[in-house]
This record gives sequence, C-alpha cells and structure tokens, in this order.
Amino acid sequence: MNRLWQFFEACGRFISAHWLTLVILIVILAGFFALMAWRHLVKYSLKRLGASVLTLLIIITVVFVLLRNMPEEGFIENYDKLSKEQRLQKLESLGLTKPIYEQFWNFLKNLFRGDFGKSTKYSINRDVMKIIAEKAPLSMILGVISMALSLVMGIPLGAAMARKKGKFWDRFGTAFIVFINAVPAAVYYIFIQLYGTKLMSIDLTFSRGDPVTWILPIFSMSLGSAASYAMWLRRYMLDEINKDYIRLARAKGVPGRKLMFRHVFRNAFVPMIQYIPASLLYTVAGSLYIESLYSIPGMGGLLVQAIGLQDNPLVQALVMIYSCIGIVGLLLGDLLMATIDPRINFVKKGGVR
Amino acid sequence: MNEPILSVKDLNLKFSLRGQTLHALRDVCLDVYKGESLAIVGESGSGKSVLTKCFLGLNDANGYIESGSILYEGMDLAAFKKESEWLKIRGREIAMVMQDPMTSLNPLRTIGAQILESINLHQKNLTPAQAKTKMLDMLDQVGIYDPEKRAKQYPHEFSGGMRQRVVIAIALACKPKILICDEPTTALDVTIQAQILKLIKTLVKESGITAIYITHDLGVVANVSTRIAVMYAGDIVEIGTSEEIFYDPRHPYTWALLSSLPQLGVKGEKLYSIAGTQANLFARVEGDAFAPRNPYALKMDYVKRPPYFELSPTHKARTWLLDARAPKVEPPEIIRKLSRREVDLNG
Repeated sequence: MNRLWQFFEACGRFISAHWLTLVILIVILAGFFALMAWRHLVKYSLKRLGASVLTLLIIITVVFVLLRNMPEEGFIENYDKLSKEQRLQKLESLGLTKPIYEQFWNFLKNLFRGDFGKSTKYSINRDVMKIIAEKAPLSMILGVISMALSLVMGIPLGAAMARKKGKFWDRFGTAFIVFINAVPAAVYYIFIQLYGTKLMSIDLTFSRGDPVTWILPIFSMSLGSAASYAMWLRRYMLDEINKDYIRLARAKGVPGRKLMFRHVFRNAFVPMIQYIPASLLYTVAGSLYIESLYSIPGMGGLLVQAIGLQDNPLVQALVMIYSCIGIVGLLLGDLLMATIDPRINFVKKGGVR
Repeated sequence: MNEPILSVKDLNLKFSLRGQTLHALRDVCLDVYKGESLAIVGESGSGKSVLTKCFLGLNDANGYIESGSILYEGMDLAAFKKESEWLKIRGREIAMVMQDPMTSLNPLRTIGAQILESINLHQKNLTPAQAKTKMLDMLDQVGIYDPEKRAKQYPHEFSGGMRQRVVIAIALACKPKILICDEPTTALDVTIQAQILKLIKTLVKESGITAIYITHDLGVVANVSTRIAVMYAGDIVEIGTSEEIFYDPRHPYTWALLSSLPQLGVKGEKLYSIAGTQANLFARVEGDAFAPRNPYALKMDYVKRPPYFELSPTHKARTWLLDARAPKVEPPEIIRKLSRREVDLNG
C-alpha cells in the first residue's frame, strides 16, 4: 500500500507541476492517434480539437478577468496588518499595477511555465501547485477505484434489467435507481457512514494506512454513477432490442446470448461511452462532500476552502484544473465515440451515401 | 404437384393484449410445396406476417399457439418451446428477408461481418478463409460490385436497394430451404423494386429454394408467384395457382381485393375500395368474417363459417356462394373483364 501510495504521490506531483504541458500533450496525442488510425476521422478530430483549445483559451481569459476584478486583499497575505504603501508595494511586486494586457501576457507566460503563483491565505507563500500536488493523488486513487466500482456495478445491473424486463432484476434495479435519485445523496451518505462504520466496527474517519476505511467512501462515491449507468444502459438496450436489425439477427439464427452481447449491448454502449471519460475525470477530481464527511485530505474540499479564505491564486489554479478536466473529458468522450460509431463521420466522401 | 415441404394444419394463434385475447390466426391450413413461390396476400392485420413468423418462432412473447401444427421435415414447429430448438431452424432451414432494409442491418458492424456471422453460425466446418470467400461470393451473387471493398463498409454507406441486396445475401448465405420475404420491396422506391424482385426470383430459382412472399401489392404477386393464398382476418379465404386467383377468383374478398388494383381502375372513375373495417378479432367471429363488408353476403354467412369448397385440385375457397344451394352470383364487371383477359396486369 505504501509503495503504491508513493507512486501515486509522485505521479500527482509530476502532473500538477506540468499540468498544462500534459493537457496539451494529451490533446496532441489524441489528435495524432485519430490521424493515424482513423483516417476518416481526421477532419472531425481536428475540428473537435480546435474547439477544445478555443474553449480552454476562453476559460483562461474568463478566469483571468474575474480574478483581476476581485478585491485586492485576495492577492496579498496579511492584508490587514499592512499599511497602504506596503500594500501598493506588494501589488507592484506582483505586477498587478501594470496595464491589463501586460498582466494578461505575463499570466499566460507563467501558465505555460506551470507557475500559478503563491498561496496567500491557505498556506502562506507556498507554491499553489505544490499544495494541489499534495492533495490530488488521494482524490485520484479514490476516484479511479470508485469509478471502476460503479462501472462494475452499474453495467451488469443495467444489462440484467434490460434482459429480464419486468422480472426480479429489473424491479430491484428500478428500486435502486429510484432510491438513489430520489433520496438526497447527503442522507444516504450519512447513513452509510454511520451504520457502515458501526457494522464494520471502525472509525468514522478515513485513515490512509488502513485499507478497511477506504471501503465505505469508495462505495458511497460509486453509488450515484452506478445508478445512472444502470438506468441509461437499460434504456439504450431496450431501445436497441426493439430495432429491426435485432429481429433480422434473430431470424438468421443468432443465439440469445450472442445477440445480447454482440448486437444489443455493444450498440447500446455507444451513446454511453461518450460520458465515461468525463465522469472518470470528475471523480478523479474528488468528491466534495464525501471527502469532508470522512475527513479525507483530498482535493475536493480545497476549492471551497480556498474560496472561503479568498486565496485568489489557489482559486485560480483550481478553477482552471477543473475546467481542463471537463474539456479533456468531453474531447476524449467524443473521440472515443467517433472511433466506435462509424456513422460519425464528418468528412463527406464523394459518391457514397 | 410434389411433396409439401411445410404443412400447416388448423393453426390457432392468440395474442394476450392488456387482458384481452386477440385471435390472430383462426384455423389456418396451408401446404407449401417444394420449389414453389407462394404469395400470401391480404390487407394489413390479416395475419400474414404473424403466420410466417410462426415458422421461425419470431412472434412476440405475448403470442401463443393454442392448437394446430406446423410440420416441417418431421418436426412440429408449433410445439417448439426452447430457443435451442429454434436455432436449428432459423437461418439454416428457413430464412427471412424483412421489409425495411434501412433499419434491418446493424449500423455498427461492417456488411462483411454481418454476412460472415450468418455463415459462421450455420457452417461451422468452414475455415475463416473459406468463409470469407463464401461471403464475397454471396455479395457478388446479389449484384454488389467490388465485394472486397464493399464488405469493409458499413450499412450507412449503402443505399436502400443495396442494403436489401445485403439482407438477401445474409438470408441466402446458409442455403436455407425456405425463404420468407416479408414485403421485400415495400420500403424501396419503384425503380429499385423491380430489380430486387428480379434478383430474388433468379436466386431462388437457381438454388431451388422455396419462396414465400408476403405482400399486399398484387402487382408484386403477379410478377413472382406461382401460387397465391388470400388471407382475411386470420384465415386463408382462397388459395389457388396465380392463374386461378387472377382469372377465376371465387371469394368475394378476392374480388374486392382485385377490384381495388389501380391497374384495373378506369381513368376518370373513382378507384374501388372495400367499405368498412376488418373484423374485430378480439371478439368471437360468427360465420364468415368478411360478411359485414360483403355486398354478396348470404344469410348463411352470418350464422355459420363456410368450409372450403374445392374448385380444382389446386383451387379452393371459403364462401357459401360456392354451395350448391346458394343463388348464382355474377362477379363484378372488373373481375369478369379479368376472366376474359381483357386487362393487362403488368400495364
């Protein structure tokens, strides 16, 4: 566990230090792959890539503009104790008195260097990226495991529901989905925490060294997405089952099991696959509520704390990380979908159609 | 005529729908002979699709066979319950071409893969290379140029007519003994219709397959079939060779059906249509189901269901008009014209 942990921590540090480079690298790689493997997707991928880069630029600009309009105390540590001259001096040293376009240029330059500035309130004068690097790995591991768990629970459940419509598993699954969607997450999270810890006779809080304490937070985190995977898969599979090509496949003698997997499941999975990278990345970014419930020292609570403290550089970095995660997730989802579904082909070929 | 390959006897099929029962097939008797082309005609809801789906066990789960038998090579298909039993029939013995080629192929798999799937299912002794050769051969047979390249393409890269050719290739890939074509040309445009029909016709003839066409288009029927069964309200009301049905029809429903052929209409006059709606099959049908819409109906028609009256070894019809005691009724003018062969059916 410890060695694994160190590995993840190292990964986290590396990622947070070079995040923008990495994002760009991923984007370029994705584009390259699309270029090589799926020639017909080239134009689509490039278009999609361009859109992503543009979105990223817009987000950077918006974050920049918003934060320059925040009260200046967010940029200066120990604001209350300083005199007016000292504050001005500080602002000047940070380059915040320069004209806005110059500030923006410097901001961009620093971004590409991976320099997000120093924390002003949360942990004074420490590099923002260092703070995040400490927090991110734990959220990452928890997120990846809970994502895997939700897929493992949600996909078979959805498939079973569709296969035996109206029978036990369908009813069970429907009850589960309705419960998860109707009851506020906070309520069942607390129930799971209280009764779960009691049942397993462990502490309420999470401790890194004790694998048993990992179970409940991961389980809680995976419930929501498991329910939605099951719900959507069931729906898409039932859609497919009633289609003509399934009837033709049956008529040509494809046995039920093969029919379900080779035709129904595969085709139903296409519309779902689009959202999986995005949701993976979001779970990696940490669950706000569960992390605070089990006092997990992850990334989820950091943003809220930073906003509360008005630690502008930290907020700025976090907001950009979250939006990058979103953009990359959507991009990957679209590319994945395009590779799987041959109909998504935005290049017009003459003659065929 | 030779041996029947498929023999349906007194088949009764019901659907349970929201607590009610729909009597979809009422005592259907039908012999299908080896190598013939049988057309089953009738309006929507007459049970023609349901009947052929029985041969493949493809009816929805709420449909059940109440009584009767479907004999095929010593097996009673009506008694089949398990999927494993049907798998011996589907695709291998009896294959099907469906109505809408636009939706009957899996959009995410290549054409080649879909034909191969069918070959691999039924001819397990072939090596992958042999199967592939066979697949390309099938594509070639249904008239698709450059099969090597086309096999790697997806359904959306094919036009409607081309897709129907692929569907036919899938159906014929395993050399079935019976091919059911469920309105194979309805979803295609007119220019393509003739091509596809011709293709099916030649392929069926070449490989000696028995074909069953389901259609409500008598023009199609005239083109391809050697024998015609006319269905109404879940029952075969008249059956005979194409000659007999077109030129010597006896059942008033067949008259009505033929009279509504646009080819027989006179320019400037209103096209004939059958008044009323089809019998309600949720309720018990007394007498002849067609009686309420039949201008020639006798009192007897409302009371007792007519038996089959044999007109020739191949021709029989279910109407009291053929009883010795019934008054002589002249068929409508259009039908008499047909009988005198004054009308060109293909024109």
